[in-house]
Amino acid sequence: MDEIQLIKGVQQGDRKSFQLLVEKYQQMVVNTCLGMVHNKADAEDLAQDVFLEVFRTAENFRGDAKLSTWMYRIATNRSLNFIRNTKRKGFFQSFEEAFTGGRNRNNEITNNSSDQPDKNITDQQRSTLLHQAIDKLPEKQRVAFTLNKYEELSYQQIAEIMEISLASVEFLIHRAKKNLQKKLYECYKKKCI
Amino acid sequence: MDCKTIHQDLIFYLDNELPNESRIIVQKHLDECIECREFLALLKSEMQIISEEKNPEVSPFFFTRLSARLEEKLEYQPQNQWIRFVQPAFFSLILAIGIYGGLKVGSNASDSTTNQPVTRNIQMMNDFEAEPIESFLLEKL
Repeated sequence: MDEIQLIKGVQQGDRKSFQLLVEKYQQMVVNTCLGMVHNKADAEDLAQDVFLEVFRTAENFRGDAKLSTWMYRIATNRSLNFIRNTKRKGFFQSFEEAFTGGRNRNNEITNNSSDQPDKNITDQQRSTLLHQAIDKLPEKQRVAFTLNKYEELSYQQIAEIMEISLASVEFLIHRAKKNLQKKLYECYKKKCI
Repeated sequence: MDCKTIHQDLIFYLDNELPNESRIIVQKHLDECIECREFLALLKSEMQIISEEKNPEVSPFFFTRLSARLEEKLEYQPQNQWIRFVQPAFFSLILAIGIYGGLKVGSNASDSTTNQPVTRNIQMMNDFEAEPIESFLLEKL
């Protein structure tokens, strides 16, 4: 079933078409969300939200762009909303901690059962360092970088998804890499890993 | 070229995005500078994380969970649509009744005060007539 038939089926509420659509695009959507939020469980939840929105708003899809382009847009927007909400919650949590003097350690789960604990800690530190550096990027740079690195999309494809010019995409990715490099260099100088 | 300038280009060197001339200059510097080589190694290992973590295996129950959520949404939706129209209409009606009631009470109150003549004289108690202050003070003494 090609893209047009798939979306027509979803527009008519056909569950089989929807299932085929999900199976075709779930990896892509989960991977995009993972690149943005860095947590697999959250990425899958967000991906489900994306597909629910696709089902709900399928009639709005006019076919001006590719189906994948449309879905990338929904995935990145949903991920950005999630990140903003998480930051807001984090702000209020730290505000609460400032008054209570406590720290919620429930979220700090360590699961290190490897034979090489030092190696795992280093990998975890490296991973955390990269995620923190990506998290500090401005939103547009983050989206462009994620689509380029996690989904290996071309600059042209990213321009279509973000509805900006090719030159803007080049600039965004250039700035994103510069900023990442700067953050990593600061860590390198402090010898944090 | 100094290390600071080279550091700005290392991430692009890693991605083969430097023009040929710049790439050769960076390569030459890396051959001589341990610190820059170490930083390049750090950059490389960090970017490697992306390759390792991308494209994770999606849960085999992904569509099952999604279907369940979809069913929930569809069951909730018809009731929700009914509420979206009836609820505002209901509250508007309550508000209209409240405003009408308030106006009615207000107009009744103003009617009763204008039509009813004041027939009762309120007797002000004159303490001085009842008990002159001189006798009060004499008693105190």
